Amino acid sequence: MAPSTGGGIGHVELAHVWKKFHYGEVHNRLRDFIPALVRRALGRPKRSDALWEGEFWALRDVSFELNPGDALGIIGPNGAGKSTILRLLTRILRPTHGTCSARGRIGALIEVAAGFHPDLTGRENIYLQGAIMGMRQREIAQKFDEIVAFSGIEWFLDTPVKRYSSGMHARLGFSIAAHVDPDVLIIDEVLAVGDAAFQRKAFDRVNELVQRDIPVIVVSHQLDAIATFCTEAILLEAGAISFRGSPRDCIAAYLQRTQTEATQLGSTAILLDRLTVEPNDHAVSGETAHATVHCAIRDGQAPGSEAVGIRVRAVDTGEVMFETTTNHFHEALPTTGAFSVACELQLNVRPGMYIVECFVWNSMAGHERGTGLTAHMRVSGGDQFVGPVHMRPRVRVVSAVPS
Amino acid sequence: MRTAVGIDTVKNATPVSGHPRGLRGYVSEPMTTRESSQITLSGRTGAGALAPPTDEQASAKRSLWTDLREQAVDLWAYRELLVQFTRRDIRIRYKQAAIGVIWAVLTPLIVVLSGWVLRLAFGRLSGEMPNDQMMAGVAVKSLGWAFFVGALAFGTASITGHLALITKTYFPRAILPIASVLTQLLDAAIGVAALAIALPFFGVELSWAMLWVVPLALLLVLFTTGVTLVASTANVFFRDAKYLVQIILSFGIFFTPVFFNADAFGATGARIAMLNPIAPLLEGLRLAIVQGHNLMQPLAGFADSLAWTPGYLIYAAVWAVTAFVGSLLLFHRTEFDFAEYV
Repeated sequence: MAPSTGGGIGHVELAHVWKKFHYGEVHNRLRDFIPALVRRALGRPKRSDALWEGEFWALRDVSFELNPGDALGIIGPNGAGKSTILRLLTRILRPTHGTCSARGRIGALIEVAAGFHPDLTGRENIYLQGAIMGMRQREIAQKFDEIVAFSGIEWFLDTPVKRYSSGMHARLGFSIAAHVDPDVLIIDEVLAVGDAAFQRKAFDRVNELVQRDIPVIVVSHQLDAIATFCTEAILLEAGAISFRGSPRDCIAAYLQRTQTEATQLGSTAILLDRLTVEPNDHAVSGETAHATVHCAIRDGQAPGSEAVGIRVRAVDTGEVMFETTTNHFHEALPTTGAFSVACELQLNVRPGMYIVECFVWNSMAGHERGTGLTAHMRVSGGDQFVGPVHMRPRVRVVSAVPS
Repeated sequence: MRTAVGIDTVKNATPVSGHPRGLRGYVSEPMTTRESSQITLSGRTGAGALAPPTDEQASAKRSLWTDLREQAVDLWAYRELLVQFTRRDIRIRYKQAAIGVIWAVLTPLIVVLSGWVLRLAFGRLSGEMPNDQMMAGVAVKSLGWAFFVGALAFGTASITGHLALITKTYFPRAILPIASVLTQLLDAAIGVAALAIALPFFGVELSWAMLWVVPLALLLVLFTTGVTLVASTANVFFRDAKYLVQIILSFGIFFTPVFFNADAFGATGARIAMLNPIAPLLEGLRLAIVQGHNLMQPLAGFADSLAWTPGYLIYAAVWAVTAFVGSLLLFHRTEFDFAEYV
């Protein structure tokens, strides 16, 4: 643990890293264990390239290198190996094959309250947790007031942590971790700490850390965070890197993957063929976008009570922002052949990533017959407002007229 | 400086076939347009490989020396955390405890009292009532034994008791059991202070031989740390380790010359009793403190037996140093599996 020299020395490298894990219970018998332990103590691990029963590769040939100023986003479905990479970097685990190195002090915004002892007071826990995160006593003492002020728990400083609310607990943990002065920064889904006010403060603090000249690694399901913080991104699937590129391309690739899995339509008369959204990349908050669904009626069938629907979801939360169907507009569908549904959308939404989905709606049955195609859309701009909805303001300043 | 990502050229993504799950893989073109330094993209993308290369470098043999140095450097780097953990353990031990620090004296005191009761019973049988010197000897050895037992009891569960810390943060794991030993050492220090006040009343006089306490105590701490490290590691991998430790804690005292002296078994018996690595340390403490015996000199004991020979000291020292170094090494070799096995 080298003391921080204020940036520039941080460096992260993973070279052809493989990591093996076990399913289920392991080594519950002395008979298997003692030989393994002796072999290990003698420095002769068993050949680790073969997979035994109940073992699998959690990471397969993962390589990347980060220099100061680089920010890498890691995205992928659950169980793809994202956390395993972070645990290798923070030295909790060691790779089965390959090398993994992180130079400089690692500031990990992960499990920020892991070292808290419930019986100790907030004050005592700051020193303990700080030491676990690699801070020197002197350094903690220096930053103590800052940490306390940031967490906003001044009143409860001498109360045992077990009497804290979960929000206070998390806020204190985050405040300590955020004052580490790292050479390498690792962030894992910690942006949802505390109430709205604290979240904004936390976001600003993370943003400030990310702007420093250090390598940064971000793991998040909030694709927005990846797009905001990172200069590069990798998509991890089943332990292997399946895509590398700019965060935007990577997110697009990720969304495309999820789409291929979701195209299971029931038996509908309408066949959803293609979905386009224009503009999909540089859409501006408050402007309009055009979504077009190319469809066809299956041979020998009639649409009957079926309609084509369009839905917009926010990527970061998955929340449905808007949804409508041709039915609502009393648009009748042709009875045979190919057709397309054009939909004009006013993007009165805050900047971010959105998913546009189309689906077949059965108005008789009153439910959806499966979600079809998806497309992603990135909305930017919106610097003239704060909040979830663009209210298309017109602001004028009227000077006072003397009466 | 980083820019809020957005407007740069789209890289061409070309499909790659052969993804193990049947998903399409992509490889992006090498990046050429970026103002910040490049993230080096090496290695295969497209997730084609199913097995690692059977290369030698990955499973290269690590030398004992490298590991030991690595462990020492790491422990030194985290020394402040060791202080913090020790402090924490001490605080927790006396927080919300009705009689607080008195516990530190009470536990060894109970051991001493049981030793005295036993000596009295033996004395009645043999007709030779225990004198002050015997009582003082029992007290000295009881304190040493109480330290060993206490450290082992707390230390064994130190790794498994910190599941969250082990799986979520990194630090040299040896810090946890070592902190348990240091915590126990503080208790022992309080006991030593109490003993120092009590001993003159048993007719123990100051002597130069008492300086032997320093190396003997050091060896006892090294040995205790070694045993605790091994016990805590073993307990990670199989939980029956703590039952074994429990047996040592409960019955070890009958196989260790604490309430009796090793030479009570006669010539051969004494030698066998002294095979126990702690026995020479405890006997040495008793002889140096109570009898003012210089441990460089041999001492005749009960009947034809040998109560002391310098060889015992060497024997105990070899045990203590081997246990300490060996356990650190074993610990370091296994600690990276803790997060997966705990």
